[in-house]
Amino acid sequence: MRSLLFTLSLLCFASQTSLSWKKEEFRSCDQTPFCKRARSRSPGACSLIATDVTIADGDLVAKLTPKDNDDQINPLVLSLSVYGDGIVRLRIDEDHSLNPPKKRFRVPDVVVPELEEKKIRLEKFATENDPPSSVVYVSDGYEAVVRHEPFEVYVRERSGDRRRVVSLNSRGLFDFEQLGKKGEGDDWEEKFRTHTDSRPFGSQSISFDVSFYESSFVYGIPEHATSFALKPTKGPGVEESTEPYRLFNLDVFEYEHESPFGLYGSIPFMVSHGGTGKSSGFFWLNAAEMQIDVLAEGWDAESGGGESRIDTLWMSEAGIVDTFFFAGPEPKDVVRQYASVTGTSAMPQLFATGYHQCRWNYKDEEDVAQVDSKFDEHDIPYDVLWLDIEHTDGKRYFTWDSALFPNPEEMQKKLDAKGRRMVTIVDPHIKRDDSYFLHKEATEMGYYVKDSSGKDFDGWCWPGSSSYIDMLSPEIREWWGGRFSYKNYVGSTPSLYIWNDMNEPSVFNVHNAYGYYFHMATSDGLVMRGEGKDRPFVLSRAIFPGTQRYGAIWTGDNTAEWEHLRVSIPMLLTLGLTGITFSGADIGGFFGNPEPELLVRWYQVGAYYPFFRGHAHHDTKRREPWLFGERNTELMRDAIHTRYTLLPYFYTLFREANVTGVPVLRPLWMEFPQDEATFSNDEAFMVGNGLLVQGVYTKGTTHASVYLPGKESWYDLRNGKTYVGGKTHKMDAPEESIPAFQRAGTVIPRKDRFRRSSFQMDNDPYTLVIALNSSQEADGELYIDDGKSFEFKRGAYIHRRFVFSNGVLTSKNIAPPEASLSSQCLIDRIILLGHSSGPNSALVEPLNQKAEIEMGPLRMGGLVASSGTNVLTIRKPGVRVDQDWTIKIL
Amino acid sequence: MRVSSSLSVSLQLSILLLLASAAIRSSSSSPLNDPFLGISPQDEKYYKSSSEIKCKDGSKRFTKAQLNDDFCDCADGTDEPGTSACPNGKFYCRNAGHSPLVLFSSRVNDGICDCCDGSDEYGGNVTCPNTCWEAGKAARESLKKKIETYNQGLVVRRKEIEQAKLGLEKDEAELKKLKSEEKILKGLVQQLKERKEEIEKVEEKERLQREKEEKERKEAELAAQPGNENSEEKTDGNEKVEGSTDGEEMPGAYQDDEDLDENEHHDEIGNYKDFPTDEEPAADTEPTSILEEATHANPADKHVVDTKEDSPSSEDSHTDGSQNDGSTKKEESDEVEKVDDLVSEKKEELSKEELGRLVASRWTGEKSDKQTEADDIPKADDQENHEHTPITPDEVDEDDGFVSDGDEDTADEGKYSDHEPEDDSYEEEHRHDSTSSYKSDAEDDLDLSETTTSNPTWLEKIQKTVKNILQAVNLIQTTPVDKTEADRVRKEYDESSSKLNKIQSRVSSLEKKLKQDFGPEKEFYSFHGRCFESKQGKYTYKVCGYKEATQEEGYSKTQLGEWEKFENSYQFMTYTNGDKCWNGPDRSLKIKLRCGLKNELMDVDEPSRCEYAAVLSTPARCLEDKLKELEQKLEKMMSQDQPHSHDEL
Repeated sequence: MRSLLFTLSLLCFASQTSLSWKKEEFRSCDQTPFCKRARSRSPGACSLIATDVTIADGDLVAKLTPKDNDDQINPLVLSLSVYGDGIVRLRIDEDHSLNPPKKRFRVPDVVVPELEEKKIRLEKFATENDPPSSVVYVSDGYEAVVRHEPFEVYVRERSGDRRRVVSLNSRGLFDFEQLGKKGEGDDWEEKFRTHTDSRPFGSQSISFDVSFYESSFVYGIPEHATSFALKPTKGPGVEESTEPYRLFNLDVFEYEHESPFGLYGSIPFMVSHGGTGKSSGFFWLNAAEMQIDVLAEGWDAESGGGESRIDTLWMSEAGIVDTFFFAGPEPKDVVRQYASVTGTSAMPQLFATGYHQCRWNYKDEEDVAQVDSKFDEHDIPYDVLWLDIEHTDGKRYFTWDSALFPNPEEMQKKLDAKGRRMVTIVDPHIKRDDSYFLHKEATEMGYYVKDSSGKDFDGWCWPGSSSYIDMLSPEIREWWGGRFSYKNYVGSTPSLYIWNDMNEPSVFNVHNAYGYYFHMATSDGLVMRGEGKDRPFVLSRAIFPGTQRYGAIWTGDNTAEWEHLRVSIPMLLTLGLTGITFSGADIGGFFGNPEPELLVRWYQVGAYYPFFRGHAHHDTKRREPWLFGERNTELMRDAIHTRYTLLPYFYTLFREANVTGVPVLRPLWMEFPQDEATFSNDEAFMVGNGLLVQGVYTKGTTHASVYLPGKESWYDLRNGKTYVGGKTHKMDAPEESIPAFQRAGTVIPRKDRFRRSSFQMDNDPYTLVIALNSSQEADGELYIDDGKSFEFKRGAYIHRRFVFSNGVLTSKNIAPPEASLSSQCLIDRIILLGHSSGPNSALVEPLNQKAEIEMGPLRMGGLVASSGTNVLTIRKPGVRVDQDWTIKIL
Repeated sequence: MRVSSSLSVSLQLSILLLLASAAIRSSSSSPLNDPFLGISPQDEKYYKSSSEIKCKDGSKRFTKAQLNDDFCDCADGTDEPGTSACPNGKFYCRNAGHSPLVLFSSRVNDGICDCCDGSDEYGGNVTCPNTCWEAGKAARESLKKKIETYNQGLVVRRKEIEQAKLGLEKDEAELKKLKSEEKILKGLVQQLKERKEEIEKVEEKERLQREKEEKERKEAELAAQPGNENSEEKTDGNEKVEGSTDGEEMPGAYQDDEDLDENEHHDEIGNYKDFPTDEEPAADTEPTSILEEATHANPADKHVVDTKEDSPSSEDSHTDGSQNDGSTKKEESDEVEKVDDLVSEKKEELSKEELGRLVASRWTGEKSDKQTEADDIPKADDQENHEHTPITPDEVDEDDGFVSDGDEDTADEGKYSDHEPEDDSYEEEHRHDSTSSYKSDAEDDLDLSETTTSNPTWLEKIQKTVKNILQAVNLIQTTPVDKTEADRVRKEYDESSSKLNKIQSRVSSLEKKLKQDFGPEKEFYSFHGRCFESKQGKYTYKVCGYKEATQEEGYSKTQLGEWEKFENSYQFMTYTNGDKCWNGPDRSLKIKLRCGLKNELMDVDEPSRCEYAAVLSTPARCLEDKLKELEQKLEKMMSQDQPHSHDEL
């Protein structure tokens, strides 16, 4: 939500004047010595060779030394581990037995402990002679190879041509600057603008090349406001001045939508996908500033030649080499493999998947009550009302402005009575005010981040002079979590949840992880508050690998422009691909005033964002959905209703992400890996495997070209019309809706009744929409739990698979036998898309009852198609959602 | 995923959950006792007439069995008036004892009591007590009160309309009269001007003659002093300067200044013609000094806010108040600001002629160095957010006489009323700032018109005087010009043109006023020149009819907007183009008008950045039609109330 700017790592400047994004305020690669050095290295410059290859503690280990070690450089230690499911971990660090001056930073708390359970303890390795290499088994399909001279590590297929998948140092760009002891007169200082880094141990940067084979495009490494398929940053056809993709958590005021500069979060995870339909991935666990080049074909003499290889150059200021190779081969395999290292996304509460209404700021309790009642007046559902920084007493978090919010508990209870929640903001900058209990306590306990002189770091942010809690310490994190107890957070109630903004800042080489720890501490705090019975909801802006385990994120301070609406899709696709599926962009754009058409289009796209929130800067005009005339109110209401109608589907997808790591919002190629036409498409996206959505990103447009992938057909969500796959269609995109399609062969569960919020939908009956493929078959899933507690982890859930085949719809239990939750919810409408007319009844078993069948226009929530094909509907089959049954079309 | 080892616990829990959900679940399964639930009495016939019922949108038909069967058949919800099955459905609750209510179907069986009779929650999720009797009673009471307000408000409104009529007539009559006077006076001023110019021509001639002689004399002297080569040029330069000064500055202007002042006072027409301009820093200060002086002079008079608009003597006290009360520093500084603003504004708007006049007039009364010094102060002041700057006693004294003279003599006229046509606005502004709540510019206008018109002989007097002068001053024979005569002409010219300005200003302001939209029955006439105040927290909001709206906090004052127009058939007043917001729009204010016995500003709010909203209760909005509507509503409530009250209770 903010208009702040971080030059390097520490200071939080509240911008007094209208600062917009300025290139020169951010350090370019040329101004960053490690990046400049690494970028200027020539291929083959690395002379390290692997020696002393052996097996130790289940890992393959080796020493890396320069071939002609005239300088007597200490050897590095290489260790390679293998985990089940096609994961190879490569670590390279200084040899601790040789007493380097300082232990280099390894990022703790990101890799999930469960990964160790998947470790395959290596007992032997094979040796090859041409060239000399050591080979270890990874999985039935893959093996990992360490070539000795020069050293290179890669994963390859075990069968056939033993094709390479992903490799490191194949181009010989590996460089590892070892820590030194500062001598007289050594000037290791680095300066940029007002910031000085004294670097007491000299340069300690690391860089290397990573190659992806059979690759058409690479994706990932958020957070940047760029196209989904990453454009090359260096090499033939790329402008000299092009910057590498920077990974450095930054708060960028009014960011540009086409820029490789880093935004609020950093995830050094890249996914490759190619024409053979295969994907692979590479992840570097490192929290220091990083720069990544995607090298254009022909960047060196060796590249090119139809190998479909993409080379990339990874450069980090510090840390160690702790990297993961993911073998794939399917896109979903790669994200699952990544999730088994960093964790899957937390299961959100049901309410969090509904619509969120935010503004900087809802001024007072009366304002809150008014906005709340206006939603009811216009029959627009919403689940959460948000309060930004102004609700506090002078930006002292955990407090309330007593004039504006004299009765916060009562206010929350009033919302809660309608099943609605509230979210308040808690930022990491703590006002340095001796009368502020939090500051007092943090000071007394010594919990603040220190500056180089050992004093509490004093920065400047919203509240003025501020300090930051040292979130790296588990003890301090636990203390922080305790601040959220009802007792400590006066005025909070069980229906209050938290928003962490401005959490990019941190210190030195753990910079990019600060927001992650802050998010973690807050999220854990809410779990503590609810005595482990209430799933936390915490929205964060900063991201890091593992963030998905702690809550939702949004793409920060975007602008009310069509291009920002457009770029939201590649940004969310990238986040989903790199683990963070519960994400969204501010509807309408944070800065500026969207014209009604843009706002309506944004709601229509935003209804499919995993995290669906409207938000606005306090200098903007009010933009609640009812403020733009009746017609626009209706259009926005329809968009929000569409989301609520699809909540059972979304919730099921969130569960899928929670179990497998496969994101809710997916690139088309994740579902259609062979379809090359989808590889660079980032205007359309899949919601789960069943829905394809094409946004409208241009003013005054009433048509859209939509590429529908695959060989099967697609059904227009709005009217049931059928379109063939593998073709680009010109679609109507009237103001009422954006093009959206259900994929043939899928079943989508819905709830078609409108309510005030998701809370009241609990008992409502389901609709199943069955889109038949060319074999007149379809299947899909439905997941249900209590929507709020952790009981689902103990089996309190319903998980059904609906299969339609041979004219019979079957509901099967796919939960493990011990899973147990019951629901009396009925399925009261079953819509069959692509079924011929004729039958007029269906037999429901085991009830042995007949249900009526009728033909009519397709309906979706309150909308009934005025044109389009008639579809077959089974009326009131009377079956329960938690039971096995079959329905046979007669 | 981890599977719980304590299976029994989870089983128990599930059973509990099952039981609990069985107890509360219903919406989809519970049978309706009344198949016609949710249907309004007017609609019952539609549903009962035949066994097959049409969807109201004509899309299809449904059977009686499908009516309220919890499955949506009609897109428009016709078949499900009593359930939540149709998203577009509407549920009618009778609410006997209160008013019927139509709900969105989304409210039916959602666990929240929406109807006071509880009929929307039959699913068993929640038990809704019938609160219609109490709620209805309260609603009837409040409706009755509202009707009473309307009744009384209507009376006030009628009175205001009558007064508006009178006021407008008066304004028009005054305008007419002023216009004819303006015509005559214009002629006189023209005659005087011509005569003045003739005199000045002669004087100029004389002056040149004198200079010539002087030059010759000097040259003669120089010639007598040998070896001074450059002196000639220098002297020329000096002469030029002197010459130009002379050209602008009338000889004798100083001398006659005192007289002028006095004359003005006697004439009871606006004084202080020496209106400040930017060009002359000295002038800027004068109003400031006046105000500050006044503050010192009358520190006790602090409660202008209490002054009521209907007090017959209030006009005087207001005017006095504007100079004397100075109750808060804020007001003073506001005035300073106003004056400064006005000056610069004025300057921009002046025609060449007007500007010339202004420049000429400022020579009056600005001789002392002291004043110039004092005048420099508010400049700095202005830059420093109009903070109060103390003035030395000397300066106060200097101004003191000046002001109090004007004060006493022109009390009814308003201090700054005699300048440019735009002065009218200044005048109002000034008053509104210094006194609070209600201020009637209309009343002040009245005063002014009384002053100017009550004495029918003033114009004749002038005419006579002019005639005399013109006859007396015989140019042809006088060489050199008789200084006294020349000054008389000049003085008379100045006075007359000043008077003319004043009349023109008044004409312009009246014309502007008469163009305003006072509503279909002129019911908003009384808003003209009137301000309404509301204090909210640290801010004081002030809304002036047909003028501007402001927000004041301590020393600082922000304009929320200038008067724009009425909107939505006089339901709203809008003020736009207020002070610019940083990073936001220009400020604006939208005021909702509603019937009330008094004009009262309330609920000022800023729902969106720099877009303000407020409510103004006013008798002007107590409309007869609306009253009838309310009475009918009450009647309906009462009649409905009687037969049903008991069966519900």
